[in-house]
Amino acid sequence: MKIVIVACLLASLGFSSVIDDFLSSLKQEAIKENPSFKEFDYKRGEELFLSKHIGKKGELISCASCHGTDLNKSNQNYFTGKTIDALSPKANQKRFTDKADIEKWLKRNFNDVYNREGTAIEKGDVVTYIINK
Amino acid sequence: MKKLIIFTLLSCALYAQEMKISIKPVDNDIYKKECGSCHFAYPAGLLPSSSWNKMMLNLSDHFGDDASVDDKTFQTLSSYLNMNSAEKAMQYKRSKKIVKNLKGTTSDSISKMPYMKKKHEEIKENLITQKEVKGLFNCTACHQNAEKGVFSDDDVKIPNYGKWKK
Repeated sequence: MKIVIVACLLASLGFSSVIDDFLSSLKQEAIKENPSFKEFDYKRGEELFLSKHIGKKGELISCASCHGTDLNKSNQNYFTGKTIDALSPKANQKRFTDKADIEKWLKRNFNDVYNREGTAIEKGDVVTYIINK
Repeated sequence: MKKLIIFTLLSCALYAQEMKISIKPVDNDIYKKECGSCHFAYPAGLLPSSSWNKMMLNLSDHFGDDASVDDKTFQTLSSYLNMNSAEKAMQYKRSKKIVKNLKGTTSDSISKMPYMKKKHEEIKENLITQKEVKGLFNCTACHQNAEKGVFSDDDVKIPNYGKWKK
C-alpha cells in the first residue's frame, strides 16, 4: 500500500513538474529579457491567443483559428480540417507533459500565427493562459 | 453450425477488405505523431524518395506552415520515408501506378502529381473545394478507409454528394 501511495505521489509530482520546470526556466529567461519582469500574466496570454494576425500563409488567423476558443474541447485545423484534441490539460491529460513537445509547438505555432518566434515572456504568458483557462 | 457460418462470412468480409489495400498503410508511430498531428498521415508509398527528400529539406515552410522537427526526429522521418517510398513499395498497386505516371517529374506534393490529378479529374471542382473537404490533400474526407491503405473507388463517399458513381 505504501508503495502505491509513494508511486501515486511521484506520478502526480512528475506530471506537474514538467510544466512548472518549464515555466520557471522561462521566468529566468524573461528576467534577462526585461529585468523588471515580475510574473506571467493570464490576461496578456489571452490577448496573445485570441488576437488575429496575418500568419505564415497570408491569412488573418489567431491561435484559436485551429484550437478554438473552448480549450476543453477538440477543434479542427483551420487549413487541413484535421481534428486537434483539446489543448487544456484539464480536459486532455497528455497536454503539457513533455518539454520537447511544448517547445516544438510553441515555436511552430508562433511562427505560423505571428511569423516570428515568441519571446520568453510571451511564451510564459500564453502557457499560463492555456493551463488555467 | 451457425457459429461456423458466421465465422466463415466474417472471414470472407475481412479477406475482401484486406484485398482492397492498394498502398502500404503507415506503420511508424513517430511519423504518425509528427505528421499526423496536422493532416492525414500520408502513406510513404504516395511519393518517390526524391519528392520526400525535397520536402524534408524545407520543413520550416511546409506548405506555408512551420513543421520543423529536431535532428533526431528528422533522421527517423527521413529514413522511414526513404525506406517506404513509392519506388520501394511497387508490390502495391497505387505506388506502382504513381511511379509509372511520374513522367520524369519530381512532384512537390501528393495532390499535384499527374496520377493524382488524373484520378480525380471527373470529380466536380466544387465538391473538392467545399468546406468539408477543402482540397485534394484531405484524403480521409472521402476515402473512408484511407488510413488502412484502401483507396478503391467503391470506398469513396463524398460529403454532400454520397457514394461515388461515375
